[in-house]
Amino acid sequence: MSATIEQIREAISRTREARERVWPHRTTDAVITALAQAAKNWLDPKNPWRKRAAEQATTPTGFSEAMVNEAIDLTFGAITYESLGELLDRELGNRRVLDKFCLRGRVRTRAMASRLIVHFLAGNVPAPGIMSICCGLLLRSANLVKMSARDPVFPVLFLESVREVDAELADCAAALDWPRGELALTQAAVGDADAVIAYGDDSTVSALRQLAPPTAKFIGYGHKISFAVVAKEAMTEENLPRLAQAAAFDASVYDQQGCLSPHVFYVEERGQLGPRKFAAALADAMAAYQTRVPRGQLSVEEAAEVVKLRTSYEFGAASDRRLGVWASPAESQWAVIYDDNPAFVPSCLNRIVFVKPTDGYKRVLDAIQRFASSVSTVGVAPMNERALAFASDLARMGVHRVCPIGQMQRPPLSWHHDGRPNLADLVSWTDLG
Amino acid sequence: MDQAALDLQQRILALIARGMAQATTDEEFDRLAREVFAFQYERCAPYRAYCERLKLTPETVAHWKQIPAVPTSAFKDFALTCFPVEEAVAEFHTSGTTREKAGKHYLWTLELYEAAIRPNFAEYLLRDLEGNSRDALSTAERTTTGGHRPPLQKRQYSRLPMMVLMSSPREVPHSSLSHMMGVVAREFGAQDSEFYVEDGVLRVERVVRDLSEAQVAHRPVFLLGTAFAFVHLLDHLARQGLRVEMAEGSRVMETGGFKGRSREMPKAELYGQIERLIGIPKTRIVNEYGMTELSTQFYDGSLRMGRQTDDKAAPPWARVVIVDPNTGREADENGRGLVRVYDLANLWSILCIQTEDLGVAHVAGSASGTNSFEVLGRAAGAEVRGCSLTAEDLRVE
Repeated sequence: MSATIEQIREAISRTREARERVWPHRTTDAVITALAQAAKNWLDPKNPWRKRAAEQATTPTGFSEAMVNEAIDLTFGAITYESLGELLDRELGNRRVLDKFCLRGRVRTRAMASRLIVHFLAGNVPAPGIMSICCGLLLRSANLVKMSARDPVFPVLFLESVREVDAELADCAAALDWPRGELALTQAAVGDADAVIAYGDDSTVSALRQLAPPTAKFIGYGHKISFAVVAKEAMTEENLPRLAQAAAFDASVYDQQGCLSPHVFYVEERGQLGPRKFAAALADAMAAYQTRVPRGQLSVEEAAEVVKLRTSYEFGAASDRRLGVWASPAESQWAVIYDDNPAFVPSCLNRIVFVKPTDGYKRVLDAIQRFASSVSTVGVAPMNERALAFASDLARMGVHRVCPIGQMQRPPLSWHHDGRPNLADLVSWTDLG
Repeated sequence: MDQAALDLQQRILALIARGMAQATTDEEFDRLAREVFAFQYERCAPYRAYCERLKLTPETVAHWKQIPAVPTSAFKDFALTCFPVEEAVAEFHTSGTTREKAGKHYLWTLELYEAAIRPNFAEYLLRDLEGNSRDALSTAERTTTGGHRPPLQKRQYSRLPMMVLMSSPREVPHSSLSHMMGVVAREFGAQDSEFYVEDGVLRVERVVRDLSEAQVAHRPVFLLGTAFAFVHLLDHLARQGLRVEMAEGSRVMETGGFKGRSREMPKAELYGQIERLIGIPKTRIVNEYGMTELSTQFYDGSLRMGRQTDDKAAPPWARVVIVDPNTGREADENGRGLVRVYDLANLWSILCIQTEDLGVAHVAGSASGTNSFEVLGRAAGAEVRGCSLTAEDLRVE
């Protein structure tokens, strides 16, 4: 149900008042402790929030119940006392700078957070939104959260779970939803913002950038694409089953709809096993994952895209030896498409993944050069010296994250999302001395 | 070509010649369709390989609905013919979108192809002109009274000038649409029928001039073109502040396909503007659904029934099935799915084509296929649920 303009204004003044109450008295350590406790509670299978999320989130997100549970484990498993503290220490130098003047170098300094942060969340993957809210609460800012129509569940339930641990802290954030097109509501939401964090496609992000007050900090996260590279060193009989399982996890989680979801696995030739062996093993692992965590129900349009891509390659694979298709037997729940052509082809999503042979890292760089700025994450196996050199090349091209295959969907809390800090942009500094 | 194949062609030609009035029974269609399938399975190697992969062969296929469908995309990568491709008398290419390869449909003969155009076109676009009179309206009245109709070959239609907003088949020999327009202009159009796209440019001023002349002469016209061309013409009229009012009996055949070349216009708006700026009412605008990979076209029944409808039906030598992409099975009545066409006139290429268009079955599930369907358009641009980029918005710098 759409929020009204009164509800938005009320939420802003309520969270601001709560912030005034909380900010001077709560230490950062207390906030970390509360958030970590709330997150930890979600990991308990009997947790009521977890149960409610599983009931309520399947319809709007389109995920199966098992996928919702997987999303909970991925999202809340990453939020711990240690990871939150590490995030603060890494980005601000010392978590206590939010509480008092701390000596840094030769001056004492203290960080003042944005008073009101307005978050615009997007899509059905809960982790970025929950992370965004956590950052706002870590800073003890007031937070207005505009939820995504695809996930009106997780932000609300997360705040309720925080309330259970620390009601005053939870009061510092309010989650509402209204249609994207309701300009007056969006304007009311951002009018007084000190910072705006916007997730969404390019047009959404730039529209919000226009609406945000010129004095506000604006942080936009656009949609991205990811892929992975398997080097020949990893293509051994012994390693393959575990590698394929890790790859299938990365490609299947969130039904491949996340910006960290790989579309293509480039597999280096001349390993002990060839790229086709990887495709076959990946298919087995995708099938196994499907059994454990079924893909969600697709709309007719989404399913049509899957059928188009799959049948087109299946027709070719019947007589063209350069192609191969491994797919779920009945409905198109997943498919692995092998194609000799090294050109990068985006998947139609929903667990349809390409495997392409490559001559090496250099060729991969050639294939992705033209859209490097749209790349989020590149998975690699193994993470060795050659991979490190490859990562340097990727960094030069503007790619912001390289990680082992199997970890693509588990960015650490302190990762540089799209190459930028999570907290450092949201504070300003007062120096003493 | 061997005698058996020629006999098969003869039987399909005879079925087409029987005309539109008598539907094929399921048994009748099934017999022919499975014979065509067996022929194509034998002659077209990539198709045979695909059928074998699916374990659906002439031995195992028990009903025409089980015949494997070929995705239209396969026409881009393979020459799907049942004859040596160098024997083709014509090849039609898909216009495709930019950066995509064109699909190619090769024809061994034009006989079947052109035979399939005529009765269908006459039924859905000219029925009110049937008779031998020069006066379209009086014939219209006469035909609505019913009575015995002679077979198509003997029928006469008063000939309207066909104003085709496309290139002539001479200029674009690989366009199936232009070829088809050439056939209908020759068969049914007046002497002064004309193509208005030259060197790829719609000569919009000449269109307006000829429309105005026809208006003054109270002479009905038949405008035919892509939705894209009509948008172009309408934009021109609007810009110039012009409006024409074509004589009664005028009509429009519009065929989808913007293919990214012009601003998209919703169908209702397009038809409304044609009515307003050209003076041809919506009930006399017929949408054609066809594609390069097929030999048969499909028309909505608006003109034929005298009321606007989006419903289309297959002629007796073709069938349409709407397939639910989530299950691979036929969609329920009023359920959406991908349009799959079985076209006997595609004897020399592929009988069963899986299109990329979404459609809805209005009367589905009968043994003889979808009796009535509506095309909803290209199945592209599924809503993005997550935060991954998709093919459409992957920016290449």
